[in-house]
Amino acid sequence: MTRLRDHGLQSERLLWPTKGPSKFEEEMGVEELEQALGLTTLEKAVRWAQTKSMWPDTFGLACCAIEMMAIVSARYDIARFGMEAFRASPRQADLLIVSGRVSHKMAKPLRQIYDQMVEPKWVIAMGACASSGGMFNNYAILQGVDRIVPVDIYVPFCPPRPEALMEGILRLHEAHLAGVPPAYERRQVAT
Amino acid sequence: MNVRDIPGFLDVREEHGETTVVVERERVRDAARHLRDELGFNFLADVVATDYLNWGTKGVSGYIGTASGRDLNLPMTQGLQAQPRPKPWRFSVSYHLLALREGAPRLRLQTLLEDGDPVPSVVSVWPTADWHEREQFDLMGIRFDGHPNLVRILLEDDWEGHPLRKDYPIGGEPVRFSDAE
Amino acid sequence: MSLAERTKIYEGSRIPQRVPTVLDVPPELLSSDDILQVNFGPNHPSTHGVLRLIVDLDGEQVVGLSAVIGYLHTGFEKNMEQKTWWKAITYPERIDYVGYQNNELVFVLAIEKLLALEIPEKATWMRMLLCELNRIHSHLVFLGTSALELGAISMFWYTFREREMVLDLSELVAGQRMHTRYFQAGGLAEDIPRGFYSECRKFVEWMPQALDDYLGLLDRNKIWLERTKGVGLLSADDAIALGQSGPVLRASGVDWDLRRDDPYLSYDKVHFHVPVYHGGDVYDRYRVRMDEMAESVRIIEQCLDKLERMDGKPWIADDRKVVLPPREELHTSMESLIHHFKIVTEGYRVPEGEVYVAIESPRGESGCYVVSDGGPKPWRVHFRAPSFVALEATATCMRDTLVADMIAVVGSLDAVMGDSDR
Repeated sequence: MTRLRDHGLQSERLLWPTKGPSKFEEEMGVEELEQALGLTTLEKAVRWAQTKSMWPDTFGLACCAIEMMAIVSARYDIARFGMEAFRASPRQADLLIVSGRVSHKMAKPLRQIYDQMVEPKWVIAMGACASSGGMFNNYAILQGVDRIVPVDIYVPFCPPRPEALMEGILRLHEAHLAGVPPAYERRQVAT
Repeated sequence: MNVRDIPGFLDVREEHGETTVVVERERVRDAARHLRDELGFNFLADVVATDYLNWGTKGVSGYIGTASGRDLNLPMTQGLQAQPRPKPWRFSVSYHLLALREGAPRLRLQTLLEDGDPVPSVVSVWPTADWHEREQFDLMGIRFDGHPNLVRILLEDDWEGHPLRKDYPIGGEPVRFSDAE
Repeated sequence: MSLAERTKIYEGSRIPQRVPTVLDVPPELLSSDDILQVNFGPNHPSTHGVLRLIVDLDGEQVVGLSAVIGYLHTGFEKNMEQKTWWKAITYPERIDYVGYQNNELVFVLAIEKLLALEIPEKATWMRMLLCELNRIHSHLVFLGTSALELGAISMFWYTFREREMVLDLSELVAGQRMHTRYFQAGGLAEDIPRGFYSECRKFVEWMPQALDDYLGLLDRNKIWLERTKGVGLLSADDAIALGQSGPVLRASGVDWDLRRDDPYLSYDKVHFHVPVYHGGDVYDRYRVRMDEMAESVRIIEQCLDKLERMDGKPWIADDRKVVLPPREELHTSMESLIHHFKIVTEGYRVPEGEVYVAIESPRGESGCYVVSDGGPKPWRVHFRAPSFVALEATATCMRDTLVADMIAVVGSLDAVMGDSDR
């Protein structure tokens, strides 16, 4: 087991060799201090913070939008995950939940909204229509929203239960915590 | 209710409890005004255009998976099938009317036309026809004369073609295992 | 092209004359520099879906308006022509995705009218019950989202709490929360499960109290009253001329309800009151919908009384050419197997003809026009969408109003974009 001092707890001493023990070390002693402190990297801490308040953008299109509103409601509360603040402006949003069928006329506004979001940004394709065109294999509907935006998580069903959407969101959180980069980095597409 | 007084009257049909009055294409607006003012149909529910291209040529719409229609001499589970009544015109435009009074009488005003024939617009009679006619122009390509703003409404402005016509393909992407559906 | 004849202008009509659905900037203002054209684009913070409003503003006042729709055009009608009648029933539900049972019902009624099928009583009453539940669902979503847009955010949580109860009932009956595909040509897809009636009774007992809660929150709230009274006026003549129906028409003073005046299912056998208000403003439309929810609860009670005595009765017609046989029969009867095969692969055939069936959906008169050529697939299906027509009235309601009122007006017209764009 590596000790904190192996990681350089006395980091100040690395720079300032003549510095004595800090107040914490004096009061708590090295053993207790090791149990009271948590060590992490900056990337992990930032990712944890991003996960805990990933604000979605209001992009409700069709039936799935009603189920997306249901996750904000009291039974499937998404405020537990810090995500009840649906931002109207894409510039303030992190997550784009494409909920509903995307017609060709709507594809241009969708791409515009995605472009206006600031990195890091994620996309969840909610429902069958956003994932693949769903039951509408015709002239009017974009056959899958991943033709124009890079998608991180696909949530199937028509419409997905609020719990299913929450599972999708939580898997996105887990993936992000584990270090999986957002889809635009993985697919190396323009953002 | 005497439907034969309607200007441009051609034919009347009573089926499934519904009355359909067919009028000449050029006199649609006069017929509409007569229906609203004399007969009291003050509510236009809907304007629908139907494309009868290839109506009845396959017998009926054929088995899933086969390109051609059925052999009419082979008995079906429902007995020998009947050919549908022929439609000599390619398009029909139906106006569904309702009178907001006791008994809720409904009427379908229908006119028949070929590709390219314009239909007089009834926006001056029932203002609600504005968007309905735009929609039928957009999806079926039927021009309405006298409409104040006949542009596409549901599809993009630069869309080519009229999707609901029978010669317009369904589009989308090819899917395995279901070729005719 | 100029309009040859003027629209029939009644005394005091507010329909903009050149084009009934576009509010034009008056020419004297057009030349000044004060007009600002703003685009309320398809991606709204308000939850109506994808409606685009191009608005000309003179300060805060709306002087020009035109609505652009079509961002959710799905090509339902063309898609349904490719599917057999049985499979096509899954499509209409997604048109008006908040009042989904009503679209299912209207398509199924159209098929049954062409087939001249007789529906068992149990199916009729259950269809009525589910449609009234769906009416409550739709009005709850309306109330939650309209109040949310006007700032009364807490209404959203309360109405969605009741909405969850309605969806629980729907899940109990059909297995799915929304878009249940429970109505079939001939009746219902499956029997009503045990335990449904008691759960429905619990809901029916709870709902009036919830409605009182909502009224208590909003009805005498000064801000709500100021934002909704006198806003978005629509006279009775203009409403009829613009083809409005449902709550918008009844709030303008026209006493017209298809459930009472042109009854379908068994609406002539239940007692209910049709609320009519005469103000024609946003507040009256809200009151009409609130009262309709209370009336729907009464109708559901009466349906439950009838249904509880119909245990064991058939829930679907027994015309085997149209209706799938019960699965137990497939093991023993050759004819059932053949019928099942034919109905699933080729589909049942609907005789040639054209029908138009209209019902009272939560948004107004929802109609379905079906043309059949005698085959297993529809030839032409068209849905008369009440939301499409409701949006036509935006320009008329928006005369002499402010930008903030525009949100209230569009919310009160209760347009669902799936219904409007089909």
